[in-house]
Amino acid sequence: MSLVARGLEFAGIPTALVSVMPMLSTPARPPRQLIRRLNIGATVGRPNDVGGQKETLRRLVGLIESAEGFGAVDKDAKPE
Amino acid sequence: MPDAATLADWRPKFQNWTREAMPLLQKGKPKDAFAIYPWYQTEGDPFVRITKPATEARFGLVTTGGYSIEGLHEPFTGLPDFGGTPPDFHLIGLDVDPATLRIDHMGYDHRFAKEDHNANLPTDRLKEMVDNGELGSVAEETVVLMGLVPNVEPLINETIPRIVERFRSDSVEAALLVPS
Repeated sequence: MSLVARGLEFAGIPTALVSVMPMLSTPARPPRQLIRRLNIGATVGRPNDVGGQKETLRRLVGLIESAEGFGAVDKDAKPE
Repeated sequence: MPDAATLADWRPKFQNWTREAMPLLQKGKPKDAFAIYPWYQTEGDPFVRITKPATEARFGLVTTGGYSIEGLHEPFTGLPDFGGTPPDFHLIGLDVDPATLRIDHMGYDHRFAKEDHNANLPTDRLKEMVDNGELGSVAEETVVLMGLVPNVEPLINETIPRIVERFRSDSVEAALLVPS
């Protein structure tokens, strides 16, 4: 998916990628990445968790609007 | 430098890997096979800024959830393709009937997405964000493909340009990417 993000960005379309496995997404260097502590298969949010799903989408949109340069990352805090 | 420019260096590494990985995969040892996978080394830092507020922009969605619509799409293969066939993608409308969705992807647990496709195909959430004015608009069709693409060459050379063409034809101004 990081390569798709890069291809779109090379073509002039800004992107933001959500990742729950940064060890897989980061090596290919996506332009903007939201790293979330979510499950594979529910990378936007848990089923029927409307608020959680929208949080992911809002943070992706926020990255697109506010990132200052290549490699911008927004990351969930580690649980206490 | 577009990613296609560095494929020549990666190609022999991938070919060597397939020779070593195939016997491992045939023995049911995918972890061992992918532990020695030659990750593609990208060069260049593509970055473009959005030219208008999100409240006015048109967004496109890409997911690697591996969805098909029953009776409309040919199923995805479901397993990684090591050859040179370009990965295909399906277009799924924002107003798709969830009961018609099928998941072909064998690489993840489907229980979350079967309970609520918005877990990794967030069409309802995006429509709500358009309705309440957070986003200008969303492309009518989501681009759905498979993850697990070991041979990135046809992905870079053929599939990604088709996705770009698709989004350009739909006047998409920013893209949200969601893996499975």
